Amino acid sequence: MNSIDEPIFGPEFGHGGFETSEEPDVEHSIRDLLAHQSFCVLCTQGQSQPYGSLIAFAFTDNLKTFFFTTPLATRKFKLLSECNRIALVIDSRCQHPDDMTKVGAVTVTGKAERLQSGEEFEQGIALLKSRHPYLAHFLESDSTALFKVDVVRYFHVTRFQEVSQWIP
Amino acid sequence: MDSLKPYVMPLNDVSETDEKVIGGKASKLAKLVGMGYRVPSGFCVTIYAYNHFIETNRLDEMIAFELGRKRFQDMRWEEIWDAALRIRSSFLREKIPAVIRNTIMTSLKKMGSEKPLAVRSSAPKEDTARASFAGLHESYIGVTGMEDLLNSIRLVWASLWSDAALLYQKELGLDPLRSSMAVVVQELVQEDISGVAFGCDPTAPEEDKAIIEAVPGLCQNLVDGTLDPDRWLLRKSTGEMLAFKPGDRGGAEKGTPLLESDDLKLLYRALQGIETLFGWQPDLEWTGRNDRLTLLQARPITTSQAAPKDDKSYYLTLRPNEQNLKKLAQRVSETLIPQLEKEGEKMAAEDLSKLNDRELSEAIETRQDALEKWKKIYWDEFIPFAHGVRRLATYYNDAVRPQDPYEFIGLLRGQAMRSTQRNRKMMELSEVLRSDPSLLELIRDQVFGEKGPPPSWQDVRHQIHALPQGLNFVRGFESLLEEYMDVSYGRARLKDRPELVLKTVVEMAISKEHSVAGDQVTGGQTDVAELEKKLFRAVGQEHIEEAKEVLRIGRMSWRLRDDDNLLLGRIESQLLRAVHVGVELLRSEGRLQREGRVGEKTANIIIAALRNPSQKKVIIPDENGTERKSHHKKRKSVKSRQLIGQPAAPGLATGPVCRVLVPEDFGAFKAGNILVCDAIQPNMTHLVPLAGGIIERRGGMLIHGAIIARELGVPCVNGVPNAVDLLEDGELVTVDGHLGIVTVGEPEFDLERDINKIYLHPKVSDLLK
Repeated sequence: MNSIDEPIFGPEFGHGGFETSEEPDVEHSIRDLLAHQSFCVLCTQGQSQPYGSLIAFAFTDNLKTFFFTTPLATRKFKLLSECNRIALVIDSRCQHPDDMTKVGAVTVTGKAERLQSGEEFEQGIALLKSRHPYLAHFLESDSTALFKVDVVRYFHVTRFQEVSQWIP
Repeated sequence: MDSLKPYVMPLNDVSETDEKVIGGKASKLAKLVGMGYRVPSGFCVTIYAYNHFIETNRLDEMIAFELGRKRFQDMRWEEIWDAALRIRSSFLREKIPAVIRNTIMTSLKKMGSEKPLAVRSSAPKEDTARASFAGLHESYIGVTGMEDLLNSIRLVWASLWSDAALLYQKELGLDPLRSSMAVVVQELVQEDISGVAFGCDPTAPEEDKAIIEAVPGLCQNLVDGTLDPDRWLLRKSTGEMLAFKPGDRGGAEKGTPLLESDDLKLLYRALQGIETLFGWQPDLEWTGRNDRLTLLQARPITTSQAAPKDDKSYYLTLRPNEQNLKKLAQRVSETLIPQLEKEGEKMAAEDLSKLNDRELSEAIETRQDALEKWKKIYWDEFIPFAHGVRRLATYYNDAVRPQDPYEFIGLLRGQAMRSTQRNRKMMELSEVLRSDPSLLELIRDQVFGEKGPPPSWQDVRHQIHALPQGLNFVRGFESLLEEYMDVSYGRARLKDRPELVLKTVVEMAISKEHSVAGDQVTGGQTDVAELEKKLFRAVGQEHIEEAKEVLRIGRMSWRLRDDDNLLLGRIESQLLRAVHVGVELLRSEGRLQREGRVGEKTANIIIAALRNPSQKKVIIPDENGTERKSHHKKRKSVKSRQLIGQPAAPGLATGPVCRVLVPEDFGAFKAGNILVCDAIQPNMTHLVPLAGGIIERRGGMLIHGAIIARELGVPCVNGVPNAVDLLEDGELVTVDGHLGIVTVGEPEFDLERDINKIYLHPKVSDLLK
């Protein structure tokens, strides 16, 4: 609880001075949110049309890279091939269905790139498998494309309207 | 209605296990009935009724949203008061479901009494032995008729979320989705004598003492401090009377005790019996004598040890009851403010240059003492007097029930205050400049000249004098300095910094959006009259005088709470003046070895040096004050994009940030800037008409900056924690005063565009080829 602080006189006289509340650790909140959510909304665009899809995702420990997969014959794959600038939306609304102020959300912006082989490809598959073991068959399919997302920044929303930007 | 979840239970028909449903107060009363004590007849509106009312109107979600929008620990007490007001307004506006209404009506009929009622809170967790929260929730006495009763029940329910209760939300375990409140409805027993009784001395519980107090008439007269009670001190172990102190109520009965020894014995026995029954030392409210002795309430004593003095307990003193508020209004307006004004004037008139070392040291000390004295009065009396405005808010909302709980602020418009007189004077000076372009150009070039430091006022003055309108302007400006700028801000006397004041006047003259500071005084009188009519209509003919009194005190509170700041600022300024003369004297004697910035501690150093001529090397350390740099921590990776506060004055404004933290910022402030500060103080309200929008750290709908911004139509968001820290000068922000949101920067995607330039990787479609 902050102390009583009526209009301060000159800051040097007694009760003045600024109170700073402890800064919430944005990175920690984001990490926590990602760890507790398995799915997110992938936002793509093409033909002047935004498009959203629910996907399963995995992410690297430094929060700089996301991985997801999509079948080749999908609208989202086509859109990704036309424009690689994407956004991901992850939130905790399922944990707080009756209190908007407790819901945390992040919008991640970044650039998607398809991976077909190599070290990053192996890393992406491994991370997705460990997070979503039930998707193993889907991940290994020839008609599935693996994408990595290079994160540009996070927009973290708390208490309904408080927004911070974090660059990993 | 589920028969297992009754909305109403008669007090004489509940069991011990019902406490969770009927709350602490009702359960204790029921036990007293069981023991054969006389208790006013009545019933309890259970928590099931509260829950049903809340769920039907979805008030739980509203409360959760109200309290969850911002971190609770970041909410200042004024914001908590605001949240409580909004919750209370919602409770008053919503309907009580017919099923509850009907049940209450039936119970009332069953009581078969036409007497007025007492409606009291009975929260399941209140009055536990560990901590008593007496006074956090509401009680209403003298309620008559069904509508009045339902209203009182609504208000008691809402008081579960009162400002005081929210302050103790942790201790009470308040949870919007779980907490509930029962209400006790009883016949109001009106005996000729009432009082309280304590099973021990609350200030010294270990001593063998019990206390009984009595007043004529209702017990409420004692509880709210209206009447001074007769007081008996008894030996707790034997009941023997140790001391008697008659109450000071004036009149002829003074000295004749209200109670006789038989009455004392009866009350003593009740204390003993209740302590045995409940296992704690009771704090009892009672009315009537002999066989008419009726117990109104029993709860465990809160000893002074159990309730430490902290910010919260100080806060509770900021809500004086009507009686005390009235007394305070009289004292503040008739005694304190005139005294403060006189003292400041006297100090300002003193010629310090002729004093010798000792006399000067005494003058500094006198000012120091005066400042200390007035600061204490400020905290003890001026701040509590601010409650006058809050009292008006509650009164207006209870009567009018407006959609906007802040509609009443319109009633404060048009109060002549020192700050508005000052602002009007500044505006008049800016008008002089606008009407004389050559004068404006000259001053503008002088004060905003880019070459080197700004010239002194004396230099500028000399040049202004030479112009046709010059003399007039100089006279007006110097009288502004004399009358209104003898105040301090951030270690500076504004009177000593005329160039800063002049810059603001010039800015007022050249700004296209020429809002008029004096509007506060002259504008909107029609709206004021409309609101007054609305209030008087709502309270009805028989309460018009009462409403006028609430209005009078509310307006006085608003006006004087502005003046007291400026007048106190003058005492501060006069201390600084004396300190500066002291520094000057030491400098002229060649005794200053190192000279830092002058502040409060400096005063003591100067006093000591003036009294000790043998001290040759005087060092004035640099005091830590408000520094711009120290408040701006650079963060590389984290940046706020949207900040949340209170929607303090409606409107939308976009502009560059100008943080006002030190006196120099007054001069740097440009028309259309977004004023970012810790709190708008009366000595800086002249910047408000220039501001495009306002962002304050200090929150509250009824704080100074908010009301002034509303009057001038400047969008304002306050209660933004760390606002001065998170925002940078020059940064573009949008202030949304409707929603209480500050958006930082433009919605750009520059970074996202740049990453493509950096990576330049082939398109995904190319990879498929």
